[in-house]
Amino acid sequence: MISTLQKTIRPMWAARGLHKSAMEVLKHPAPEDTVTASFGKFISEIKPQHLSSSVLHRSKRMVLDSIGVGLIGSTTEVFELVLQHCQHMYAPDDISSVYGRGGTRLSPTLAAFVNGVATHSMDFDDTWHPATHPSGAVLPAVLALSDMIPSNSKPSGLDFLLAFNVGIEIQGRLMRFSNEAHNIPKRFHPPSVVGTMGSAAACARLLSLDHSQCSHALAIAASLSGAPMANAATQSKPLHIGNASRLGLEAALLASRGLEASSLVLDAVAGVAGFSAFYEDYVPQPLESPNDGHTFLLEEQDMGFKRFPAHLGMHWVADAAASIHKLLVGVGPGTVSPAQVQEIQLRVPKSKYINRPFPESEHEARHSFQFNACSALLDGEVTVQSFTPAAMNRPELLALLSRVHVEHPHDNPANFNHMYGEVQVTLVGGDILKGRCDTFYGHWRNPLTDESLRKKFRNNAGVVLPSEKVERLIEVVEELDRLGNCTPLLSQLQ
Amino acid sequence: MLRKRITESFGAAIHALNTAQLTDGVINRSKRMILDTLGVGLLGTRTAVFNKALMYSQMFTSEERSTVWGKSDIILPPHFAAFVNGIAVHSMDFDDTWHPATHPSGAVLPALLALAETLPSQPSGLDLLLAFNVGIEVQGRLMRFSREAYNIPERFHPPSVVGVMGSAAASAKLLGLSPAQCSHALAIAASSAGAPLANAATQTKPLHIGNAARRGLEAAQLAQIGLEGNPAILDMDSGFGVYYKDYTPSAMADSACSGFRWTLENQNVAVKRIPAHLGMHWVVDAALAARAKLENTVGYFDLSQIRHITLRVPPSKYVNCPFPATEHQARHSFQFNACSALLDNKVTVASYSEAQINRPALKELLSKVKMETPKDNQPSFDTMYCEAEIETDEGQSYAARCDTFYGHWRKPLSDKDLVGKFRVNASSVLSTEGVEGVIDVVGNIERVSDCSILGSYLRMTSSSHAQLYSTRVL
Repeated sequence: MISTLQKTIRPMWAARGLHKSAMEVLKHPAPEDTVTASFGKFISEIKPQHLSSSVLHRSKRMVLDSIGVGLIGSTTEVFELVLQHCQHMYAPDDISSVYGRGGTRLSPTLAAFVNGVATHSMDFDDTWHPATHPSGAVLPAVLALSDMIPSNSKPSGLDFLLAFNVGIEIQGRLMRFSNEAHNIPKRFHPPSVVGTMGSAAACARLLSLDHSQCSHALAIAASLSGAPMANAATQSKPLHIGNASRLGLEAALLASRGLEASSLVLDAVAGVAGFSAFYEDYVPQPLESPNDGHTFLLEEQDMGFKRFPAHLGMHWVADAAASIHKLLVGVGPGTVSPAQVQEIQLRVPKSKYINRPFPESEHEARHSFQFNACSALLDGEVTVQSFTPAAMNRPELLALLSRVHVEHPHDNPANFNHMYGEVQVTLVGGDILKGRCDTFYGHWRNPLTDESLRKKFRNNAGVVLPSEKVERLIEVVEELDRLGNCTPLLSQLQ
Repeated sequence: MLRKRITESFGAAIHALNTAQLTDGVINRSKRMILDTLGVGLLGTRTAVFNKALMYSQMFTSEERSTVWGKSDIILPPHFAAFVNGIAVHSMDFDDTWHPATHPSGAVLPALLALAETLPSQPSGLDLLLAFNVGIEVQGRLMRFSREAYNIPERFHPPSVVGVMGSAAASAKLLGLSPAQCSHALAIAASSAGAPLANAATQTKPLHIGNAARRGLEAAQLAQIGLEGNPAILDMDSGFGVYYKDYTPSAMADSACSGFRWTLENQNVAVKRIPAHLGMHWVVDAALAARAKLENTVGYFDLSQIRHITLRVPPSKYVNCPFPATEHQARHSFQFNACSALLDNKVTVASYSEAQINRPALKELLSKVKMETPKDNQPSFDTMYCEAEIETDEGQSYAARCDTFYGHWRKPLSDKDLVGKFRVNASSVLSTEGVEGVIDVVGNIERVSDCSILGSYLRMTSSSHAQLYSTRVL
């Protein structure tokens, strides 16, 4: 295995060396004035000192949450399925660790794949605006790649964080190229479009590829992007993130071996679509050089973290329904009985893939306004347990579901920055109770406190790891930017 | 929503289609496709892109091993064998082309051969042929769901859209999956579809076919162990419909009923004579004919006679490249191919080397080219034409037009010429025994009881060739 590793690593470091000597001799022509070239330059030139303390803080929260969500995700059926697939299709390869499975390692791209699947398996991972799940596409690849790098040249914690942030930043920049990206998606599942590109960018950064190779990594990744929305709310959806992570890493590795692709992939070229193929409207902008003073998007636009494992839109109706539950139950402990309820009205944005009156699987339930509203109405909250078969099949829940009507008010756009969720319950006696949520706790406008985030992490990670490891992970991520070597992080994940 | 059950009908058909339904016509045509694809793939194992992909793929090992075409001593995990062999097939743009436009065989055959080698009991040649045709059929059906698919593409590279679906279908067939699993294989594959056209005419384009083969196989294997996707993936606009601006799917007819006809029966493929985008074949034939006219009239042919060259072609940006800098661009350039034809009186595999691309005489000719896109010249491989007009210093004009090049589905290569193309391609890496062995096996594939014999021929390299040419960049 070591010899394979050396064989793989040598060409990359050779590429690094080539970069230096080539720059000295000035053999490379000046980068062209294209959007694609500007992205390549940015990725190759960005340095740790460009990370502000706010970006460091926010991205460390993302890393922690993503790991926790990935760890609990390693208990799901879909994770088990893809892990088995990888282990059957390929020989054991002792390189990159698999979340929550002591002693199980895979080839780097396969580890990125399964860990990415774990991260998105319960729809518990972070969500950004414009909409995508940025961390799950990037972190597994950066971790897997770090495992691959020989122990005497492991990246520092700061290098690691820089690569991670590059992966997030590139995703954010790409989504701002279209108006389509600003709304809840209808065609392509965003993580499959920008996630792959983010992963490629992050890995290119970690590999220290030169600006041309960075551009080619993005271009190669573009040919690996794009999955339809129809597979959201199915068991295949988590593979969108798993594949984004895996294929972005693959693109960077291929670029490091000299594979080339379109040098105009991000630019708008009439008659020949590049990255623009994934959008109906597309206006790309170049990225300025980091040396000219660069502000990361994460500084201006914070991340949303989920409190329960379901599509982001569910959090609004759950909070609205929970407030009604409180009113019904009053001060003492009590339950809400379907017998009390005559009708439930939901006022939500129009979005077909999260409008499901009677979800038939856990995946559908995580993408159902109706299900999440009724669960919160019954229980006062939605939790990990709300999506178990037992909870899903409760007669009380089914009874409530049959009384739901959904409305799409004109003032409720399908946009995570502007939408609201309103729940109106008409009681049998005729009383009407209303709950409305404009900003749920965990949204970027009302972020989870560090303590709430750690609590979520403990609940998640604790399902598969002993508490010493859980606490150690919290510490390591907290001090990640001060670690000279990211190995302490890599060694605690299983 | 009333489900139209289109995806279900595809799953059912993939499962139910059987060897008895293979007609003589389809058997004959698909065997030609298989032979051509193997030859083109073998030649492609000498390219730089293949070697990069091979090096990358060798990072992975597995217990199951599959043949890398043209390599006697390298085996790879099945997915990566499918990957690199698929890349080899498309590496020189020498593989078959269909109408509506895609390169159907390269996405399917590498996956099937890799998969076949791992099955506990080896499939017969007829099983392989059936699975292959299922993979082709599904691609043909899917392309007929939109008008967009009928023209030369602008957004997504078709093999990356339908190719992965064909590979999934073919693999599902060979694995004997249930109708539901076949549907899920398609759904899982759909999430791996769609690469932008901008990477055509670059070194990455061959990966579109390699990945289609690889990820279609993966989709079928994931479906086999129970992974599920959207069971209405073909029915929905937000499913497979995302890859097209207009999308009107329809169900696949009950394969058991007598009305079933293979798409390949109604619509043959084009087999290329030169390793370049299909459109180039028209312009080459037109340029050669114009050149001949000039030579016959004047008595000789001299480059210095030429003042202007006008090419009348359909509008298609990605094959309009006035001064190609790489072999990949050269294969996608009306101008380059016309001028090569004029300069050399032929266009061959050797025309795309760096040395040939950079010839001063060629560059000078290129500077004399003017392009026109007449309104009646539609960007469709079924209706396009190319005209080449040479204007001499003396003010004389010699023009020729090509409506249907030799190799097009309207004027298919003779069996003799098809086998001849295979021999030339395959001999670059295989020994004579290997070359003739493949011809023999594929020619009689419906009678072969164990198709693993094909793999052994594909590994019979000519050893001296292997040493000289294993790393030479074409």
